[in-house]
Amino acid sequence: MKKIKVEINKKLHELEVCDSELLIELLRDRLGFLGTKYSCLEGDCGVCTVLVNGKNVLSCLMLAAEVDGASVTTIEGLAENGVLHPLQEAFIDKGAVQCGFCTPGMILAAKALLDQNPHPTDEQIERAIDGNLCRCTGYVKIVEAVKDASKKINPNDQISISK
Amino acid sequence: MSILKDFKFHSPDSLSQALELLDKTRAPLLLAGGTFALNTLKKSSKYPSDVISLKKIPELKGIKVKGKELWIGSMTCIDELIGSKLTGDTFPSLKDAALKLGTTPIRNMATIGGNIASRFYWVDLSAVLISLGARVEAASLEEKRIVDLDKFLAEKSSKKVIITGILLPQEERCSYYFRHTRTVQEVDVPTLGLAFSCIKGKEGLSDVRAVVNTTLSFPVILKGIVSILKNSEYKNVKVSDIREAILKDAESTKLDEHRLALLVQDLEKLIELLKAV
Repeated sequence: MKKIKVEINKKLHELEVCDSELLIELLRDRLGFLGTKYSCLEGDCGVCTVLVNGKNVLSCLMLAAEVDGASVTTIEGLAENGVLHPLQEAFIDKGAVQCGFCTPGMILAAKALLDQNPHPTDEQIERAIDGNLCRCTGYVKIVEAVKDASKKINPNDQISISK
Repeated sequence: MSILKDFKFHSPDSLSQALELLDKTRAPLLLAGGTFALNTLKKSSKYPSDVISLKKIPELKGIKVKGKELWIGSMTCIDELIGSKLTGDTFPSLKDAALKLGTTPIRNMATIGGNIASRFYWVDLSAVLISLGARVEAASLEEKRIVDLDKFLAEKSSKKVIITGILLPQEERCSYYFRHTRTVQEVDVPTLGLAFSCIKGKEGLSDVRAVVNTTLSFPVILKGIVSILKNSEYKNVKVSDIREAILKDAESTKLDEHRLALLVQDLEKLIELLKAV
């Protein structure tokens, strides 16, 4: 067992983890962050995506012990005080959610993008979500939702651009 | 029930600690980005007694200019290679290959050192790095040494060595990377990669390096192609010359007809690009 200190969704946790425990096992099975999902477990599908120090990574390919000292964000960490994150709102408004299985990973991948690049092009959005498979939507509405959220998150930037 | 079988996890914070662990543990596995290593573990019958993470070792991080060379720490993520002005802007073929590697989360996790140390035949970066004249800096308890990447790959893999960095000559070179894939179980698997670099001057091309990644072996330097592209000779090369030149290296490349056709196509494109520069 290893003792780790990790910030998860802005809350500091001091935990004991098994040496061979995967991050997804810690987050989903032990801490109950059910938005982090199991599927391929090979890094192909992206449904286990979380943010570690702001970057979207695959929690099925990372040991829990490796996040000692890191900041982890799961989909549960996006809403604040019961108010959905603009990306979550945009996904609902634009009909970018169908079965919903890929949605947490997709939104977290989009968040990592918008934090780095507030006004991405369609191509940049497509590239940012290239590790997240969706069998329902065809991706068009997802890209629209990310563009919509980028406008909501940075309304002033949009005004300065239009000037 | 946990997905991985038991092992002991270590996260040393210095290179010397990591080398000592590597030496004293029975069946260690070095963990860089984890995208190959942890995936392999899920299916492997051979299991490590100890997993040694390299993530907290400062000596393996960063991209720095060292004299006339660029030093890339082995724990540099693929994403950092793309984003860094020192690598991305100076070595277009490296940036191109890095952009073609995996998906965004994989590029955020995977490292240049892990990519090389995996010794998988189909990885993209080795061919490109060899074409750019890369040397590997590797450390063991006994010594620290620097060796050409192609020679390093040709050596028998040592379990007691940690790749600490990659050294690239900082020269103004033209560089290109072409890659072909086939889809297997919805995953794009590389089938052929051609990495090329040269210095282009008034006299034509010099210091020409052409490396093919056949995905069937480690990258092979195409000596025959180098001989027909040097100086100004590339301007008059015909398809038949290309085929003939590739066949000179047939013993080392072992290309099948399909890969041979792809390579000829790529070289034709390359020559057009060189004429246009």
